[in-house]
Amino acid sequence: MECILLYIDPGSGSYLVQVIIAAILGALFYFKNLWWKIKAFFFRPKKEESEGEDSVNG
Amino acid sequence: MVNYTRHPSSFKDPAGFVFEYGGQVYRQVNQYYARQFEHLINSGLYEQLTQRGELIPHQQIDSNLTQSKEWYTTLLPEPVDYISYPYEWCFEQLRDAAQLTLGMVRTAVQHSMILKDATPFNVQFHKGKPVFIDTLSFDLYNPKQPWIAYRQFCQSFLFPLYLEHYLKTDIQKILSSYIDGIPVDFIARLLPLKSRLSLGVWLHVYLQQTANGSQKPGKAAETRFSRKKLMDLVSHLTNIIQHFPAERIYNSTWSNYYEDTILSQEYLREKENIVRQFCAATKSKTVLDLGANDGHFSKLFAGYGMQVVATDADSRCIARLYQEVKKNKITNILPLILDIANPSPAIGFQNRERAAFHERIQTGLVAALALIHHLVIGRNISLPALAEYFNNIAPELIIEFVPKEDEKVQQMLATRPDTFPDYTETAFEKYFSKYFHIAGKQTVTGTPRVLYHMKRKKAI
Repeated sequence: MECILLYIDPGSGSYLVQVIIAAILGALFYFKNLWWKIKAFFFRPKKEESEGEDSVNG
Repeated sequence: MVNYTRHPSSFKDPAGFVFEYGGQVYRQVNQYYARQFEHLINSGLYEQLTQRGELIPHQQIDSNLTQSKEWYTTLLPEPVDYISYPYEWCFEQLRDAAQLTLGMVRTAVQHSMILKDATPFNVQFHKGKPVFIDTLSFDLYNPKQPWIAYRQFCQSFLFPLYLEHYLKTDIQKILSSYIDGIPVDFIARLLPLKSRLSLGVWLHVYLQQTANGSQKPGKAAETRFSRKKLMDLVSHLTNIIQHFPAERIYNSTWSNYYEDTILSQEYLREKENIVRQFCAATKSKTVLDLGANDGHFSKLFAGYGMQVVATDADSRCIARLYQEVKKNKITNILPLILDIANPSPAIGFQNRERAAFHERIQTGLVAALALIHHLVIGRNISLPALAEYFNNIAPELIIEFVPKEDEKVQQMLATRPDTFPDYTETAFEKYFSKYFHIAGKQTVTGTPRVLYHMKRKKAI
């Protein structure tokens, strides 16, 4: 285990809160990605109809 | 006998310290930090950060100047002209410093390192841009550990930005009271109810407040963290900071001063001509522009190649000037918020950690244009007291005397009794002559205003 220099006090709850925040953010980013994927799935056929144009929004 | 002075703010970190030796500022690296320092250099992190202008470059000197037992190596960092502190910065300056800090965490992690502290005192404005100055802030990265400096980042960057964003008022004076940043309990009570609708505020303020309160002492939290989690956290913080509105409202008492003056164009041109003559007569390479407003004259001084510190009590003026400096990549103007009647004090341990404004920022020339009527009539500072003040800070002085007949002074006197019988050109010259030679004097044509170029009689 790495010995981290603790010359600043990270705060008793700071580590715990980061774990919670990271979990919430992780979940949010997961659903955000999922949402983009669903959107991409439904909107893809439309994009393919307009041939030659780049699909930017995905 | 070893002739060095350790910097009074450099006592917290066992990795090393800053000291002055033979008129130059050095940073000693202690053996304690040897492994981290070698990693910083060998991993290519140092090179990448300095090439991007994000970290101050240094020269490594293999000489134990302090003759200390803990010595590992000595660094001579590129000198920063003026040290300024977050309570002298506008919102945009603090935001840029925060972005720089988060960007450094990202880059550091790519090289298996992390920032072990995140305080705005580690960032300085150098050649018009924020730059990270604490080379010893990098630690080896352990993905299982959360970010040790997270709380510090919140307290000293995120919370001040949130406060200013939600309260829509200046918070610099609060920052000078809290050297370690604004405590979470304090901000949680200050933020308005609507801030609870923001996910960022909810997570980083209220959740953190709850977690801090609920933690049992003496028991280290079982933590499982990962690089992805850290990156999510850093991305989220970056996102919050990026999304504060870019264009803030700049209309304040002073922000349209020159535009609103009917005489403006002619008066400005005339005044410019006189100031240019005075500039030609000075050898000074540095200038402190007091009451700089939109920086019109700061830019004039900068045009002469001087290093300019442009100050104003109005944060919106400073914000506007900072954005201009940034946009036009002006490298020799440092805009700072300064209230002359109450300049930044010396703060921290023994009041020596962070020096007072005028101890830190010393220039060869001081400019006080269209200013002293505000100090004498607006703030009740007498002319003899002002003369003494300028004697303390100005080897050379370009100063404008705005007499009572002036339209602006008349406006000021309209709402208060005239208790300033001594406020005359003769008295002004008398009091200032005690300390200064008058090297030049010219009236701005078409106005009763007089510009002076003064030189201090004797060095202090």
